[in-house]
Amino acid sequence: MPQIFPKALNPIARTIILCLPIVAASTGVGLAAFYRSSYATGIHETPPQPVAFSHAHHVGQLGIDCRYCHTSVESSGFANVPATKTCMNCHQQIWQGADLLEPVRNSYKTNTPIEWNRVYNLPHYAYFNHSIHVAKGVGCASCHGRLDQQNLTTQHPTLLMEWCINCHREPEKHLRPKSEITSMLYTPSAPNAEGKPAVWKRSDFANFGKLPDGKDEPLLGTERPTNQKELGLVLKDKYKVRDAVTMTNCSMCHR
Amino acid sequence: MKPDSTVTPPPQKTDAAPKQWQGLDEYVGSAEFLEAVQNEFPEGAAEFTDEVSRRRFVGLMGASVALATGAGCYLRPAPPRKILPYTTQPDEITPGVALYFASAAPLSGYGAGVLVRSNEGRPTKIEGNPSHPSSLGGTDAFTQASILDMYDPDRSRGVTHRGLASSPEEAVAAARKLLYDEKGEPRKNVRLRLLTETVTSPTLAAQLTKLLGDFPDAKWAQHDPATSESVREGTTKAFGKPLSVTYDFSKADVVLSLDADFIGSGPGSARYSRDFGDRRKIRKHGKTAADIHGGKKDAHAGHDHDHDHDHKEGVQPDMLNRLYVVEAMPSCTGSVADHRLALPTSLVESFARALAVELGVAGPGSAPLSDEAKAWIKPLADDLKAKAGKSIVVAGPQQPGSLHALVAAINAKLGNAGKTVFYSAAIEVRPAGKVIDLKTLTKEMGDRLVDALFIFNVNAAYSAPVDVPFGENIKNVGFTFHLGTHQDETAVKCQWHVNESHYLETWGDIRGHDGTVTLQQPIIAPLYNGKSAIELIAGITAAAVRDGYELVRNYWKNGDEARKTFPELAKIDANGFEVFWQQAVREGVIAGTASPADSTALGNWSADSPSAPTTVPALGGDFEINFRPDTTLYDGRFANNGWLQELPKPVTKLTWDNAIFMSDATAKKLGLDPTYFRWTGGEHGRAQVDVLEITYRGRKIKAPVWVLPNHADGSITVHLGYGRERAGRVSSTPGEPNAEGKAVRGFDAYSLRTSDALWFAIGGKEAGKNDLSITKVPKKVYYLACTQGQTSMTQKDLFINHEWDRKPVRHGDLALYSKDPSFAKIPPMAARETAEINENVPAPSHSHDEHEHEPHDTRLKSLTMYYDNDKFKRFTPGLAEDQQRRWAMAIDLNACTGCSACVVACQSENNIPVVGKDQVTKGRAMHWISIDRYYEGAPGSANLKTLFQPRMCVQCENAPCEIVCPVGATVHSADGLNDMTYNRCVGTRYCSNNCPYKVRRFNFLTFADFDTNTLKLGRNPDVSVRSRGVMEKCTFCVQRIRGAEIVAEREARKIKDGEILTACQSACPSGAIVFGDLNEDHSAVARWKNEPTNYGLLAELNTRPRLTHLAIVRNPNPAMPNTPKGV
Repeated sequence: MPQIFPKALNPIARTIILCLPIVAASTGVGLAAFYRSSYATGIHETPPQPVAFSHAHHVGQLGIDCRYCHTSVESSGFANVPATKTCMNCHQQIWQGADLLEPVRNSYKTNTPIEWNRVYNLPHYAYFNHSIHVAKGVGCASCHGRLDQQNLTTQHPTLLMEWCINCHREPEKHLRPKSEITSMLYTPSAPNAEGKPAVWKRSDFANFGKLPDGKDEPLLGTERPTNQKELGLVLKDKYKVRDAVTMTNCSMCHR
Repeated sequence: MKPDSTVTPPPQKTDAAPKQWQGLDEYVGSAEFLEAVQNEFPEGAAEFTDEVSRRRFVGLMGASVALATGAGCYLRPAPPRKILPYTTQPDEITPGVALYFASAAPLSGYGAGVLVRSNEGRPTKIEGNPSHPSSLGGTDAFTQASILDMYDPDRSRGVTHRGLASSPEEAVAAARKLLYDEKGEPRKNVRLRLLTETVTSPTLAAQLTKLLGDFPDAKWAQHDPATSESVREGTTKAFGKPLSVTYDFSKADVVLSLDADFIGSGPGSARYSRDFGDRRKIRKHGKTAADIHGGKKDAHAGHDHDHDHDHKEGVQPDMLNRLYVVEAMPSCTGSVADHRLALPTSLVESFARALAVELGVAGPGSAPLSDEAKAWIKPLADDLKAKAGKSIVVAGPQQPGSLHALVAAINAKLGNAGKTVFYSAAIEVRPAGKVIDLKTLTKEMGDRLVDALFIFNVNAAYSAPVDVPFGENIKNVGFTFHLGTHQDETAVKCQWHVNESHYLETWGDIRGHDGTVTLQQPIIAPLYNGKSAIELIAGITAAAVRDGYELVRNYWKNGDEARKTFPELAKIDANGFEVFWQQAVREGVIAGTASPADSTALGNWSADSPSAPTTVPALGGDFEINFRPDTTLYDGRFANNGWLQELPKPVTKLTWDNAIFMSDATAKKLGLDPTYFRWTGGEHGRAQVDVLEITYRGRKIKAPVWVLPNHADGSITVHLGYGRERAGRVSSTPGEPNAEGKAVRGFDAYSLRTSDALWFAIGGKEAGKNDLSITKVPKKVYYLACTQGQTSMTQKDLFINHEWDRKPVRHGDLALYSKDPSFAKIPPMAARETAEINENVPAPSHSHDEHEHEPHDTRLKSLTMYYDNDKFKRFTPGLAEDQQRRWAMAIDLNACTGCSACVVACQSENNIPVVGKDQVTKGRAMHWISIDRYYEGAPGSANLKTLFQPRMCVQCENAPCEIVCPVGATVHSADGLNDMTYNRCVGTRYCSNNCPYKVRRFNFLTFADFDTNTLKLGRNPDVSVRSRGVMEKCTFCVQRIRGAEIVAEREARKIKDGEILTACQSACPSGAIVFGDLNEDHSAVARWKNEPTNYGLLAELNTRPRLTHLAIVRNPNPAMPNTPKGV
């Protein structure tokens, strides 16, 4: 029986066989790269919104605290997008006629919600809880970036699981005093308003610095460490942030 | 004595102990059974045996390839979503935080107090209301499942007039035009008929009473197919007026149930279950006689200063109660009895008469009894007399009124009245002279004596006795008006149908078993703009207020009027009303509304002519037929509730069908082989059974048969509620015909039931008797879906070819407990090893660590893959002391009644899908909790024991499932949970294969309903909805644990003991489940696990289960016949 393929094709066949692992490996690498690409994660994306709401203006220029609008961030897993009424608290008085605010007034008049596009879009099986992060000293800017510089809100991190886990393994790298939670300008070394080194305040501690035995927290009034490494460890201890083993348990986030 | 659970007790002789078995095939050891249990998954469970679905699967494969390659695929982990905030956020709502509202779930007119969880305005879970006397925090399965009724996609969505869409306004106008003239005056001559079920709602009752007053010719018919008139009749006979009867089982040392399933059915059963269960929990520091019955403290109580007796749980061993049950069809109550007499229902009254004579109650004539029953009378009477004033005799609703009167006399004679048995003013509303029964109404309709018929959510066209042709006579009424949640069998026959709002959608009020009123508040706006009965009547009568809220409020605002019914209701001035109202709505109970006690003495009553039969239905020719409400579908109203259809019935473990139940002796007599059934296809799920034809009074029905080992001989039982043709998609079964060939679930037992023998009748072939015969339909078989024995733990040792008897349920009697309280510790198969260990290794020094809860012998060194620090006290030594938690659960099998409320609660909480009968037969049922029902003893013997054991993931510390998962989807958490990460699971099913408890469930198909919109609303947002190819199992309600943890961590405090209730624990009416932190000193779970009866299921496999069981300790009367001497 004659050979189907001429002998001259043998090197080609060998090359193909030799290349197979490379092809397989590069497919894997390619898929992994795709999974982590900005296209798949949506990092730095700025979805369009029905109202051209600018955090840069409201937070950066006007200095409104995050919690004025996102009221449930300390008490609920979900940091609420403000009700139209919250917008109208001010905009009944100022910029009543602005074209930009037409959808807001419309929503208020017709009692129909504004349909915002979700920016931080976690999959349904990840149960993220805002309140516990805020209570344990994770600042808004740690995940959401410098909102005081964003006009339309942009997705700051990748939201990959590894991004979550990195912090759950080493929370001390990201913790900040509770009084600085909503601050956009905070750095560990930033001085206070009077230009002096920052000190521990009552609002940094649970129960306003009252220990269970009724005494004051000894750290009160003393200077805060100015490097994250040292500060983070103090905060991890004071806020009873649990250890990496516990914090990376599957059921912490998936149920 | 402080029993130390770490010390191995001396070995016991266990060879003689009978084997525990789940089904008759296991008992006889049929080859099919032995083969089937070897497979992890039933044969066929993993395969596409069904041609259609295989084709569909190939189609889906094609579609998914297209999806993966083509456009339209979204490659991100989450699809883009919108956020729709409120325009004005309600004050009380914080998005993401659930709220709880008090209400009451109605069933046959009585309400059980509930707390409804609301997630952003969607009711998602029902819990019992601890403040409500009918609940005390527990619920039954019906209450748990009632939330699914609200989201039922087959609910009626609008008003119809002769089948065409209409509007509520037109319906009300039409009714008004008929009843009132132009000036709004009632047309006095209208022969108006109202048809309701039992009514206790004060607001509705006031409205109906007024309506009846306006129309002199009006009458009110009440029809409740699953409840009976017996209590009314009996109390009328005994006391001269109808009274309601309540019991205090917490004070009863001895209980005799005469065919009464007080634990499993009827108003107040959840409460009775709790009271009864508390007397079944043996605790070292439990209540003493002084705590329970008052009086001086005895010596036992001396060492216990820590706990106030009100807070003590359980009882000292000597205060264990004793339950005697006489019944035909095994019920939950009968299954947990210390002594159970299987007696045909018709003989129960004869039994009671004989007992009354023995007790010295004047009057009752005697009746013949079998020898077995006769042997009961003397010791039983002695026991009751010894506990006079501390006992209860309770008669079942299916028994005639004469028995209830007799029981009242017995309780009076024993001095129980006022101590354990309480009589109070009747709770149901029945204005004198205005109430007729369904039979009279139907006759009037047939005679065309009715001008207008208003039906309020009663499906009488389906549930009327077969000799009462209600449905056919609806057309003879000039004007028919139906209010109901479904376009059911009755609705389609009426001219007008108005869709009714569900109780979670509307305002109302309803009374509990003791009369306590609950204000029902809407948790959600009516999904389909339904109307409640009170709103509809207000509309028709053109009342000044027509809004449900205002109607209920107005009733209670008018305190003087309300005090006519509720004399103990506190007087409040106008200013105080708002406080009263807010408090009543918030608490879910109105203080002072319990039915006032009635101390009418027993009248000059004597047991007149016996209504009981004088012949014994024997195996000869006579049979007794029993009609009972179904244990999951009730009277049929839950026929479209998938949770209840698929819920394995507490004793029989059947799903999706009813059957003719009979004992194996009866089956033999009928020529059926008691081991007649064959499992085909799936392991145990698909039971092939014979089809019988019952001929009863000339009517015939074909139905499958199911042999129940402890059913009374000479008696058969059929359950009502099946065979509904217009219930909806769950009850209709195109392509899956029932035994009669109709496309409905089960057979309709109403088609045999007659109005003169609603509950039971004796018949035979001889002349002059009821025509009753049962014949086997030749060559016809039927398949029943039975979960008993599915996912069986039975295991054959492959090396020695021997089937281990693991004795999953360990039990003993009080005598054994007194001799050796830790009798349950050692599994029978380890007895020999234990003996060797005791011989060769000195017992460890007596540990005085109160908080040592290991159910294991410390001399047995654990072989573990996990680092063994400090005996597993913590997995994470790095955590602060108060953050180290060891979640654990204990189930007191002695208190478990097998009622299955936990199964539905778990299903509701954890978004567990319903799979359908076909899938159940393949062994694919998804319930995370299975309540195993074991038998011990020979079928048909008087000593046959029924044992219940809830089995869910025990969260092994050495979890066999974890080490075989190739993707790490199931791993341990620091607090000792066996986490299951659905999104990581790839569906290898190795974990389930390696699980000795067989508690893992696999989504073989897409069982979760992702399409039906209403069902999405009812899901728990804190739990993922699992799709195809994912393994799932009990997580100890990890979402509740993490939720409570977050709140506690936020508030920088410890989690309090009892702060986290798992869904099953919270639902359990008898309080048999406890959950908590083992590291917490004196936590309830630590206390329970420190009891000597605590044992770990299959702990001999070194799995170190975190969920342990407390053994059953029964309290048999040594004087009774058939009491085994020793165990």
